[in-house]
Amino acid sequence: MKQKIGVYICQCGSNISDYVDVDKVLDSVKDLEGVSLVKITMFSCSDSTQNEMVDDIKNEDLDGLVVASCSPKLHLPTFRNVAIRGGLNPYNYVQVNIREQGSWAHSDNPKKATEKAIQLVKAGIERTKYSNALEKTVIPSEKAVAVIGAGIAGMKAAIELADMGLSVYLIEKDFFVGGRITQWEDLCTVEELASDTVTRLYDEVKSKDNLTLFLGATAENMSGSVGNFKLTINIRPRYIKSDFNKDKIEELTGKCKTLTPNEFDFGLTKRKIVFKTYPGALPDIPVVDIKNAGDDINIINEFKDHLDLDRKDESITVDIGSVILATGSDPYTPKVGELGYKEIDNVVTFQEFKRIIELSPNGKLKYNGKDIKSVGYIYCVGSCQAEGNMYCSRFCCTCAISTSLSINKRFEKIRFYHVYKHIRTYGKQEVLYDQAGRQGDIFFKFDEDEEPVVSMVDGEGTITFNDLLTDGEEISVSPDLIVLVTGMVPRDDYKRVAEVFKAPIGRDKFFNEAHPKLRPVETVIDGIMIAGASQGPKSISESTKSALSAASKADALLHKGEIELEPTLAMIDTSLCEGSGLCIQACPFNAITMIDAGGKKLAQVEKSACKGCGWCLAVCPHDAIELAGYTNNEMEGMIESLITV
Amino acid sequence: MSKINPEFADTLAKYGAFDITACFNCGTCTSICSLSDEDNFFPRKMIRASVLGQTDKIDSSLEPWLCYYCGECSTSCPREANPGELMMSLRRYLTARYDWTGLSAKFYTSKLWELGAIILLALFVLVMFILFAGPMDTTLTDQGGVKLNTFAPAKVVHIADWLMAASLVFFLTGNVFRMYWRTIVKDESVKIPFKLYFTEAWKFVFHFATQWQFSKCGDKIDDGEKKKEKTSTYWIIHLFLMTGYVLLLIMIVGFLNWFQTEEIHPWWHPQRLLGYYATTGLFVGLIYFTVQRIKKSSEKAKFTHYTDWTFLVLLFLTTLTGIMVHIFRITGLPYATYYIYVIHLMVLFPMLMIEVPFSKWSHLAYRPFAIYFSNVKIAAKKIKK
Ligand code: SF4
Ligand code: SF4
Ligand code: SF4
Repeated sequence: MKQKIGVYICQCGSNISDYVDVDKVLDSVKDLEGVSLVKITMFSCSDSTQNEMVDDIKNEDLDGLVVASCSPKLHLPTFRNVAIRGGLNPYNYVQVNIREQGSWAHSDNPKKATEKAIQLVKAGIERTKYSNALEKTVIPSEKAVAVIGAGIAGMKAAIELADMGLSVYLIEKDFFVGGRITQWEDLCTVEELASDTVTRLYDEVKSKDNLTLFLGATAENMSGSVGNFKLTINIRPRYIKSDFNKDKIEELTGKCKTLTPNEFDFGLTKRKIVFKTYPGALPDIPVVDIKNAGDDINIINEFKDHLDLDRKDESITVDIGSVILATGSDPYTPKVGELGYKEIDNVVTFQEFKRIIELSPNGKLKYNGKDIKSVGYIYCVGSCQAEGNMYCSRFCCTCAISTSLSINKRFEKIRFYHVYKHIRTYGKQEVLYDQAGRQGDIFFKFDEDEEPVVSMVDGEGTITFNDLLTDGEEISVSPDLIVLVTGMVPRDDYKRVAEVFKAPIGRDKFFNEAHPKLRPVETVIDGIMIAGASQGPKSISESTKSALSAASKADALLHKGEIELEPTLAMIDTSLCEGSGLCIQACPFNAITMIDAGGKKLAQVEKSACKGCGWCLAVCPHDAIELAGYTNNEMEGMIESLITV
Repeated sequence: MSKINPEFADTLAKYGAFDITACFNCGTCTSICSLSDEDNFFPRKMIRASVLGQTDKIDSSLEPWLCYYCGECSTSCPREANPGELMMSLRRYLTARYDWTGLSAKFYTSKLWELGAIILLALFVLVMFILFAGPMDTTLTDQGGVKLNTFAPAKVVHIADWLMAASLVFFLTGNVFRMYWRTIVKDESVKIPFKLYFTEAWKFVFHFATQWQFSKCGDKIDDGEKKKEKTSTYWIIHLFLMTGYVLLLIMIVGFLNWFQTEEIHPWWHPQRLLGYYATTGLFVGLIYFTVQRIKKSSEKAKFTHYTDWTFLVLLFLTTLTGIMVHIFRITGLPYATYYIYVIHLMVLFPMLMIEVPFSKWSHLAYRPFAIYFSNVKIAAKKIKK
């Protein structure tokens, strides 16, 4: 029990002392048992006061320290540091919050504020008395990271991590890299082609010795905790030998007859069962889609020497210290009949439109064999609405407008109608909005409560709406192609991924960061980072930025090769534990295991996994578990002093 | 439900409008316009109608005539969509629309047509002279002046004048009637009680005579004395030019016998004084507007349609040759007087025939009529309320 506690009561300029009578607080605690020194300070956090405290600890040989000031969120680290400088264990320091929970909260009642402050300080002193010196636990960690998803964010993060010297496992569900951007001909706002960008990144990925790329691979299961995860990966076979004979495979492809809709083109085209998603897809190795082979299975068998037909799903486990989730997003798919989608022939989504552009012959924009001379965009489909995202997807306005500009450079004049709810070409992209107008594009604005209607009028797909820019007049346009500018939604398998990694999901079903401003790429699960559009709708540059910061966050965590853990963890008193196992069920982090200690079953806490949440101690019927830093003695002492006036 | 016609912007471009699709409908132009008010708010709505090609709306609108092109809207437009120039182009477009002959549209959209018409009419005058002119008498009058009335007897010329004036009136009234038909009769939102046409008539006379709106145009943004001065300078010079021109027209058409004499009056004689007033007005105005257009010194002078140049050049040549006829006549140079007189009429005739019913000078009629019609409508609406 601490006997020589130093207590400092802070005025915080006048933030505290205006409402809390600090002299009265001093008077009420100065004679308490165990208190050897009480002082009132103007600013406890000021350099001079800190030094004074350090001197006091040394000169007075203090064994405990209490500062009654602001929230520990602000200055706990500051005064723990003071304790260390004075030679005290930082866990013998207790901060009492008499500002946020005292003077500020009760500025209307100084008398009561003072009474509350006195009780709080007394409780703090009591806790200090029973406090123990604690040491942080240091555990070795893996210098390896798994990046889930080889889209632009995943590749960028993986390359960066490899450059920083960590081992990287880049795990991609598809058989080709690049993710969603490969479906776009150009990258919008820049004239660079998506395929060129992907090629560049892929070459870099391949050039790193410490970066392993798994294709057709999914993360199945993960155990362990930050610094020491074990990740099991399932790898599906490609059925084509790595040293494949190009001519033979071409011959095989030529002979195959079965056609299935190409998912990569949203079913706008058909593909064979030996295929690449698009001609430039990387790596330059086709895949055999055995499942859909149909009659082609005979041809496949003819070529079996060149194939890897016996190959089965493979499962491997890697040791990693951290994970970056870069699983990207899906485009919002309108419901059948939503704005004529899948009911009226010439209604497509923006992502489909991007494929249509790419697949159009030179100089002519064509859809279903017809020339397209005019395009009508309907904006905010799947954004700012109950279905899809409640909020703005942010990339779509810019991309749609940028496409209307780039398309007019590539094809004969195409007239664009923009039927919008809001135009949000924020930042530098505002210029594009201006250019589109100058190019002759026509903009219409509908009210949020009056969605446009898409219907067949005189045999033509027609958009009808009340145009706020024309006195709310009802206007209709019948462009050759109606494009629903759809937003981003989470990947269809987001739940599965979230389960594997225990990644928290927000209300929008995207992965959720720990703090939107201060911890934008970390999750509340230590060691699990998020990057790119898996976190929410993002432009490419925003995606790569978040990928780079997730990479540096992972590096900061792992590059020392060891990880410091807070010492406030569950401790099991083996003399009391009866091995009931209730704590095992209660622990949300699987940190407790049952061991056999000479015939007796005992619970044991895995330090690296325990988060100090306290669930287990609440359920233990034998009171065999204590939480370091929050022991029964400390808590009971505090409660005791709070209830005795 | 209305369909739109985006190609209309291309048509309008021939009348001078450009970049109008850059407009993002912020409404700055309408709020800055000093002539737009709660009864007629423009120009944004006109731009919108033009971008969408809602020609019915444009045809039935008086608003283009209520704009006097101070250009404040163009200066303030964040998108540089040139709303002021759009209004100007709509005036040209409407002039063409009112004109049932279709000639106006041709003159506005084809330089060939405009030039061809001028040359044709000039040749017509020349042929008339060759056929019907009197002898070129080189003897001088007692006062030493040229015997112009022998070569071109005022009486004969006067008859030609009357014929010309009759055809001008014929075309112009037809056009004004079409304007009336589209903007008032076809407007179902308001029925005009007959007496309003009389009670509001003074507005037509007032605005025709004073061009009062010019003096108000652009005085909303107050960036100091300089701006006010500019606005009133413009108005006064325009008024000077306009009165000079109208005066000449009246003297030529109404009182040629009195105006074109062989007798040289003393300098203070009303005939000479009025003539001098008119020519000075024309000259000052012409120089002022030409310099403005060349230097692009104001918003409205920034963009010049070729028909604007035609007008300035023809008017300049007419004035110049008119003065020369006067000088040569009183200084007793017979041949010079006769030739220049022929040239004078070769310029004057096409100018009047083209500009008055089909081009810029028709504005002189349309503007006050528009104010008159608009006021009649407003008054009718008030009564209805
Ligand atoms: S404190 Fe929480 S995390 Fe630690 S063992 Fe107990 S229940 Fe598990
Ligand atoms: S100020 Fe310019 S952009 Fe704004 S409404 Fe007028 S013309 Fe359009
Ligand atoms: S030019 Fe002047 S009068 Fe005409 S619309 Fe613009 S601001 Fe109004």
